[in-house]
Amino acid sequence: MTVRFAEKELKELIQEASQGEKYPLAKLISELERPDSFEFRKVLFKELENSGFNGDNSVTIGFTGTPGAGKSSLLGEISTNFLQTIPDKKMAVVAIDPSSHISGGSLLGDRTRLSLPVREKRIFFRSQPSQLELGGLNPYTYHVIRLLRCFFDFIFVETVGIGQNEIEVSKLADFSFLVMVPLGGDQVQFMKSGIMEVPDAFILNKCDEENLARASYHTLSTTLEFLRDIVPGGSIPPIFLTSVKTKKGIQELLDFVLKSKPHTKRSVETKVQIEKWIKTEYGNFGLSFSEKLGTITQKNYEEWESFFNSEIRKRLL
Amino acid sequence: MEKKDHILYDKTGNPSKEPAWIFRTYAGHTNAKESNELFRKNLAKGQTGLSIAFDLPTQCGYSSDHAIARPEIGKVGVPINTLEDFRILFDQIPIEEMNTSMTINGTSMWLLSLYVALAEERGEDVSKLQGTTQNDIIKEYLARGTYIFPPEHSIRIIVDMYEYCLKRIPKWNPSNICSYHLQEAGATPVQELAFALATGMAILDAVKERNCFTHEEFEQCVGRISFFVNAGIRFIEEMCKMRAFSDMWEEITKGIYEVKSEKYRRFRYGVQVNSLGLTEEQPENNAWRILIEALGVTLSRDARCRALQLPAWNEALSLPRPWDQQWSLRLQQVLAYETDLLEYPDLFEGSRVVESKVKDLIENANKEIQKIKEMGGAIKAIENGYMKAQLVKSQAERLAKINNDELIIVGKNKWKEGIPSPLTNDPDGGIFKVDPKSAEQTLKVLSDVKSRRDAKKVAETLARLEDDAKNGKNLMFASVECAKALVTTGEWADTLRKIFGEYRPSTGVEGQKLNLESDKVSNVRAKVEKFQKATGARPKIVVGKPGLDGHSNGAEMIAVSAKHAGFDVIYSGIRLTPEEIVQSAVEENANVIGVSILSGSHVELAEQIFAELKHYKADIPVVFGGIIPQPDFEKLHSIGVKAIFTPKDYDLMDVMDRIIDIVSAKIPASV
Repeated sequence: MTVRFAEKELKELIQEASQGEKYPLAKLISELERPDSFEFRKVLFKELENSGFNGDNSVTIGFTGTPGAGKSSLLGEISTNFLQTIPDKKMAVVAIDPSSHISGGSLLGDRTRLSLPVREKRIFFRSQPSQLELGGLNPYTYHVIRLLRCFFDFIFVETVGIGQNEIEVSKLADFSFLVMVPLGGDQVQFMKSGIMEVPDAFILNKCDEENLARASYHTLSTTLEFLRDIVPGGSIPPIFLTSVKTKKGIQELLDFVLKSKPHTKRSVETKVQIEKWIKTEYGNFGLSFSEKLGTITQKNYEEWESFFNSEIRKRLL
Repeated sequence: MEKKDHILYDKTGNPSKEPAWIFRTYAGHTNAKESNELFRKNLAKGQTGLSIAFDLPTQCGYSSDHAIARPEIGKVGVPINTLEDFRILFDQIPIEEMNTSMTINGTSMWLLSLYVALAEERGEDVSKLQGTTQNDIIKEYLARGTYIFPPEHSIRIIVDMYEYCLKRIPKWNPSNICSYHLQEAGATPVQELAFALATGMAILDAVKERNCFTHEEFEQCVGRISFFVNAGIRFIEEMCKMRAFSDMWEEITKGIYEVKSEKYRRFRYGVQVNSLGLTEEQPENNAWRILIEALGVTLSRDARCRALQLPAWNEALSLPRPWDQQWSLRLQQVLAYETDLLEYPDLFEGSRVVESKVKDLIENANKEIQKIKEMGGAIKAIENGYMKAQLVKSQAERLAKINNDELIIVGKNKWKEGIPSPLTNDPDGGIFKVDPKSAEQTLKVLSDVKSRRDAKKVAETLARLEDDAKNGKNLMFASVECAKALVTTGEWADTLRKIFGEYRPSTGVEGQKLNLESDKVSNVRAKVEKFQKATGARPKIVVGKPGLDGHSNGAEMIAVSAKHAGFDVIYSGIRLTPEEIVQSAVEENANVIGVSILSGSHVELAEQIFAELKHYKADIPVVFGGIIPQPDFEKLHSIGVKAIFTPKDYDLMDVMDRIIDIVSAKIPASV
């Protein structure tokens, strides 16, 4: 595989993307979404680093929840408020939708619920099919987010999550929300699956009606109290009550997001993603090798990938 | 046989003949002046009622001088901006003697207000006005797309009109439940029955909830509800559907709403026969289809419509010409006046086949209604996307059947060879085109009105409309005042948009499957796989529906088919601007943009789309689909459109095959 952009062209694409040009950025993302993007990634992220784009100050926010919880509409409302009230920051949205098991194709419908301004350079929206990957993420979501972090202050990642295995997003988000609807019966289900232990905060969306909202809030917070007993010393994650219809809680939620800080240890995140990659590529068998290999000092994802690839292969052969 | 069995008697016991139904043609185009001339000519030809078609900006609440309106002025109906347009439209037409049907939904209150204002200005007794404002917002969310406000506010507007009409224009039907478009969108007879009746119940529930009527007045309201249904080609089944409608409505009004008066329980309905089954191939066959479809709703006395309008033989090609409409009217006249159709009592009473079929339809429709009830009624079933998804499913099944040759359509998938139709040989190609310059006249009337009206009065009446909207007052009164003050359609709608917001319903395509497995599907999927191998990604298509045309069936079917073929599909529903569609395609780095347009504005919209692609320096192939006449192909190609699909291209996998070829041609040679 060759890198399809010449050095000069790549530099130009990066420069234009950094200025909010949509088409160059879209092209870079497409390259990252290829299964054979390894060489390209090496060149791209090196070039980005050389050009001073490291993404360290960007915050990634995960939005996960059952279908119908209103995640897209909520993100639409957040985007509108963001663009109106935060003039000096930029945001990107990556929305992941399931693919068909029969044809492999997908219908990416999240744009339907977001009314985005035209030619606005401060926001970028991209859909991704899940490609039948468990965990609600696309195999290349992580790399796309690494790229977006270089150009945007906030990256929102929206995924469908319906059980404990479906909250992968929390592993690459600095902060993740679980979006639920009032008295949807989700609370008990989530308790069972243990998913409640993962998100950093909860959103009770579609709280159009006050009494129902309050009742659901109390049910949820009581449930979370139980969790505190399970995780001693842990504090109860915050709960937001929102409604797109009445605009309730949107600004509070946005203020909270704006105050979030990027995780200081990106290397920990990289390690988690590398382990995920090893598991996909070599299964538990590969994972057992990676443990034996001990601590790695390399920081760059591609260096880790390359290192493990050769080391595991050596041991397998 | 006893003579009494085959003679029809009137109430006094004398042998009689049924009066004919109301003959209408759905008409209106270009501008108010031209439409007025058309109306007067049609009435002179023996038409007995008016059925007004409005253009898309009027339907969607935009004045003609709004940017989004420009490509659509006068295309699919008459543009109405202010009272002045109504003065022109009804010039020399005695509205107090007319039975006027207005196919208008989102802005129905506004158009009725203009009609009332015109009658008052002419000094007519307003209480004598007769007619119907369609005002069925539910089918707009589901099938036709000219909604403006969210469901709860739309229903409020409908109830306001019932309240106003009952007391002031008692012969007016404030709403007309229109399941017509549901069949066009793929509804089965059971779905048409269930969704229409559930809609009727939603309106009655809302009227009841307002609690502004005595029970007697409520009964009158029930009596004002009329239906506008579709009659398809399976005409026996369609006749049974009409009988089922009557029986079920009787049961609902009597059982649930306790309507005592038999008169008010009667299922009153008008019909437009199906356009969906009309073909672009061998269009002359459509004449027979239209006749057969008309039989389903006229043949038996117990299932005979109150008013009928027939499409024209060439509707699958483009807008009909006046001659084509005349031909359709003549068909009705032959049927009613030359044959013995109206001389007999019901022909099918006692038929075991008909009885059992009706029973079957009722049972299944009741099951469906029960399901909708359990969801909380029709409004809820709209909001949660249930009804829309069911229709898209039925449509996908229907198309799959045509593609699999399970459903025969003569001239389309069977007996395709034929001699070209001499009907299309006319120098005008057998189709009607709106003169693009005629919009100027509409715009001139509008700017004249704006310059000479009393600005202070406009501001005052609009402020009252806004206040009344906020305070829950009946909006009819303020609307009539607005009409008299020469407020424009756009100003009226914008004021209410500010208070109620605008609605974006579910597209219904998510989770849909296409029941189609054939060699063609495998062939396309193989090409998709090849593309994926070469580029590392699935082909990505943005399906766009620009402009105000809300007929989204074609776009939905392409979205579902593309997914079936293995594409990644981005479809965001109707009424997007070319700018929004291109932005999606650019951000997603799509491999192709597929655009669907049925309103005749394809050239203008193609120009806008390519201008926007140029802005992004994006080289993304664009294909068009819709009712696009052959003579426009060259123009579209010269703008840059890569392929054009029309109703002739009914084979979904042939369409996908051509699209994947276009997409694959762009694979860089280096790969």
